[in-house]
Amino acid sequence: MTNASVVTQRSVRMVQFRAGRIVWPLIQVGVVLLAGGIWWLASGFFPAGALPPPGVVLARLGELMLTGEFWIAVAITVGTFALALICSILIGVPLGLWIGSSRFWTESTRLLFDFLRTIPPIALLPLLLLVLGADFQMVLVLSIAGAVWPILIQSVYAARQGEALLAEMAASFRIPKAWYIRHIFVPGAMPFVMTGVRLGTTIALLLTIAGELLGAAPGVGHEIAAAQAWYDTPRMYAYVLVSAGLGLAVNGGFWSLQRYLLRWHPSVREEGRR
Amino acid sequence: MNALRRTTSIVAIELWLPLTLVIIWWVVSEYVNSLYFPPLSVIMQSFAENWLNPENAAANLVPSLQVIFFGYALAVIGGIVLGATLGLVRPLERAVRPVVEAMRAVPGVALLPLFIVLFGIDQQMRILLVAYGATWPVLLNTLDGVRGVEPTLLDMSRAFRVGRARRLFGVILKSAGPQIFAGARIALAVTLIIMVVSETVGASGGVGYFLMTAKSEFRIASMWSAMVALGILGYLLNIIFRIAERYILRWHRLQQARLERTS
Repeated sequence: MTNASVVTQRSVRMVQFRAGRIVWPLIQVGVVLLAGGIWWLASGFFPAGALPPPGVVLARLGELMLTGEFWIAVAITVGTFALALICSILIGVPLGLWIGSSRFWTESTRLLFDFLRTIPPIALLPLLLLVLGADFQMVLVLSIAGAVWPILIQSVYAARQGEALLAEMAASFRIPKAWYIRHIFVPGAMPFVMTGVRLGTTIALLLTIAGELLGAAPGVGHEIAAAQAWYDTPRMYAYVLVSAGLGLAVNGGFWSLQRYLLRWHPSVREEGRR
Repeated sequence: MNALRRTTSIVAIELWLPLTLVIIWWVVSEYVNSLYFPPLSVIMQSFAENWLNPENAAANLVPSLQVIFFGYALAVIGGIVLGATLGLVRPLERAVRPVVEAMRAVPGVALLPLFIVLFGIDQQMRILLVAYGATWPVLLNTLDGVRGVEPTLLDMSRAFRVGRARRLFGVILKSAGPQIFAGARIALAVTLIIMVVSETVGASGGVGYFLMTAKSEFRIASMWSAMVALGILGYLLNIIFRIAERYILRWHRLQQARLERTS
């Protein structure tokens, strides 16, 4: 292959790449509009009010966004969720790493954790409602009770899967404990812990909304249930859209955090190159 | 003899902590006089009455099992079909990505009122809601798994002219199997949550219904018995899942063992 043809091939690829950056978003916007169109068409088939057309819902959402109660509901849900996630991490990661670094405790807790993590956390809801009342503390405890398990269990794995070779090498080079933890143990455990945190994030948001919806604790979940009770379907759909927006924001935030924390890890480096 | 001793020591080390905790619970709850924390013996009595007596157990469990079984089956099948389609047809995946991201971002429970309005309050609505919420973990994991198939495997199957159907089931889906199972495991947890939530509205039976009525009628021991029943149900479902996983992915385990031996 001559030099010139390599150059032309490369420039063709560059042009394709540039075009892709414009064309793909256009196609994606088109598909989003198409989905909106299907929604609009479908709204005609359902009994009046069951499925309001997207325009009505968006207008309602716009109206709601001008009210204070909307932002209070969103702030409570986001705050409860974030606090639940932080508490789950603060409980799950140190406890998991500690249990995982001792063989005795790993084996002693295996059956217990296996049982506890399969209990659907929502089973705790009635008890929490009775003890804590319909308030954000109840939702907080519920979310922690669900989100802490994946984080804890992944942290146990994380501590166990540390490469024995690295530990041996650190020992033979007499590397100080603090340096070992900072530069070998933590980076090695991080990918596992992040997997647990990702699962915990999804569960925490699901349970925050579920707790508000069922327990009538203030927040977006409760707004959805209340709107349904008043037969105010546009309002209900508007809040469902809000919960979708929260989910999107949480996923997006999580990915950028993971990319930052694991920027050295092959899986992230590969992705960046593509 | 040695093997026997080793097994007993493993069993002992795995059991001592759970047993100690149960005993502590048993003893403490006998002496603590709290309205919300009845003695474990009372909870167990109520458990035997509501969940072991065949008549009551049928009324309380069968509707829930229906929702779990059909909802989860729909979710797994739908998730694999959609995930594989999107994973194999890249342009399609790229075009619908924003819509998929938005749809999966909706927490399944938030759609409960919406599903009630659209489908009415019955078993069918619950099955559909569970199916919707539990599809996403399967779908996204299948998508990732299908994309992550070794390119050499695909080249080789092409070189050997492996038929289309066999390439899809025997090569692509098979090597995506471990990841599909990881998604299905998350989907199982989601299924249980959505099942309970959906049964708290307008149901006349099922674990979620029992749980919430016991709470509102202040039958605390019954409420606790339902919590215990849900725990056991979750654990049993997970064991069934693990057996299925071991059976279907046995090639993976064998391969892994082989790799470990050679390295």
